[in-house]
Amino acid sequence: MSLWRARPNTLVLVGCAILAGAVAARDPAWLDIAIAIVINALVALSVGLTFGQAGILSAAQGSFAAIGAYTTAILTLKLGWSPWLALPFAIALPAGLGYGLARLVARLAPLAVALATLTMSAMIEIVLRSWDDLTGGYVGLAGIPTVWSGQPIAFYALAVVVLAMAVLAYENLMLSRFGRGLTTIRADRARAMADGIPVPGLLSAAFALAAAMAGAGGWLYAHYFSYLGPGSLGTELSISVLLMMVVGGARNILGPVAGAVILGVLAQLLPAQEVQGLFYGGALIVILLVARNGLLGLVRREGAL
Amino acid sequence: MKEGLVAREVVMRFGGVVALDGAAAEVLPGRIVGLIGRNGSGKSTMFNCITGFVRPSEGRIELDGVPIGGLPPHRVVRAGIARTFQTPRVDLRATVREAVLCGFYSLGRSGFVSSVLGLPSAVHEETHLRERADGVLRQLDLAAVGDLQIGKLSMGQVRLVEVARGIAAGARYLLLDEPAAGLTQAERDVLANTIRVVAQSGVGVLLVEHNFGFVRALCESITVLEAGRVLAVGTPREIASDPRVIETYLGSEPAALAEPA
Repeated sequence: MSLWRARPNTLVLVGCAILAGAVAARDPAWLDIAIAIVINALVALSVGLTFGQAGILSAAQGSFAAIGAYTTAILTLKLGWSPWLALPFAIALPAGLGYGLARLVARLAPLAVALATLTMSAMIEIVLRSWDDLTGGYVGLAGIPTVWSGQPIAFYALAVVVLAMAVLAYENLMLSRFGRGLTTIRADRARAMADGIPVPGLLSAAFALAAAMAGAGGWLYAHYFSYLGPGSLGTELSISVLLMMVVGGARNILGPVAGAVILGVLAQLLPAQEVQGLFYGGALIVILLVARNGLLGLVRREGAL
Repeated sequence: MKEGLVAREVVMRFGGVVALDGAAAEVLPGRIVGLIGRNGSGKSTMFNCITGFVRPSEGRIELDGVPIGGLPPHRVVRAGIARTFQTPRVDLRATVREAVLCGFYSLGRSGFVSSVLGLPSAVHEETHLRERADGVLRQLDLAAVGDLQIGKLSMGQVRLVEVARGIAAGARYLLLDEPAAGLTQAERDVLANTIRVVAQSGVGVLLVEHNFGFVRALCESITVLEAGRVLAVGTPREIASDPRVIETYLGSEPAALAEPA
């Protein structure tokens, strides 16, 4: 009971993920989809943290995932490292880059910061495409080692554990003075300064945490799909996770995760590949008309979720 | 070491505009000092210089002998100076307790990473801060409204919450920017009382205020600014009878004199 009150989001996530896993396990195709959704959810969670809490609209979360993915791919393929040994690096490198970027631009106006993340994302993609020796350029990297011999159900469990840890970290953050600080900064920077909050420093730390989450998502991607090309993660993912966040609700911790699930399932249920975009866009508009603050914004209870 | 919050010869230029031209102010621990002057006389700029919101072009600002001029706001807060705003800047949906908790930011010792990891030290500290917040609420007679949303409070109570938020982190100096604006007489009395209680606990208070009656009743010393310079310094009685002050400030607002709170 006290755990429920202390960390409700993490418990809801774990509960739902176990149920979803039990259902998806009957059908290999759905298990595959479930894993992709969990990976997307992790990146969506990171954009929820940067935008919903820190107020930074980031168009670079897909690229941070790409950095995490390429880091682990290069370490395991070229240097023969174990994926587990590469994991901390796949998390730390995007976190470090995110911190540096945020430190440079945190003082700027929100639109300028958003454009800076977009530029950063474009630069990262150029590096990934042109550094042939390291990244395989346009061809990409194939044969990235799997973990636990690529057992889908085991990998699903692993992905859920990583996502749950990210949600727990996010929830811990929001229940600390740093979370209150982020909320204050978003509402009113002058107020935050008067509270004694080092605004650029705190924003950068939150941005780094979000980039770390995206990096972990990239690590999962690389070791599940075994192949990584310049188009695997990146700008397209950055944009689709923004959609997931908007649909699910940016302010709610689990909002972007819910958005990832809804849009992921929707994409499977909608008919015919060619007109899918039409239905997808239509569903998006309907959801936003019904729930301006995202679907979880509808069920938000004060003090919880 | 010289005790007190001392600002000397502060000059602040915004482009070609000279907002402060050698202004000064001094507050000792436990004292209430008023800072008055007409609109545009530099009161708010002086406030912003002391609290680090703007960086003074010239001048010395010292806290107990340690220079703090030009430090970023969060360092100034950490040094022990808190401020409120003319228009309360609060999240109307937050509860009173949450708002006060926000004031504890600079008191926290556990780092970002240990908070995110949920380490026992961070969790313990959070519990401890919540207890301290309850203590501050009791001290300022706000315990009864602790769980109310700020949007549901009267303006007078909102100002009290602002004071509570300011002193939460153990500030030794409190800078209040027109705290009595928009309050009823009864609310002003409660606020004045609270400010006295805060001062008695050893906190030095610098009060920017338009309502001369309010300042006169509270302050032992008043500094009058005019065009970015100190026009006069003295006790409320001296200020009220100073011909220059009457001419430039009080005379322009006879209503302010009429009501000695």
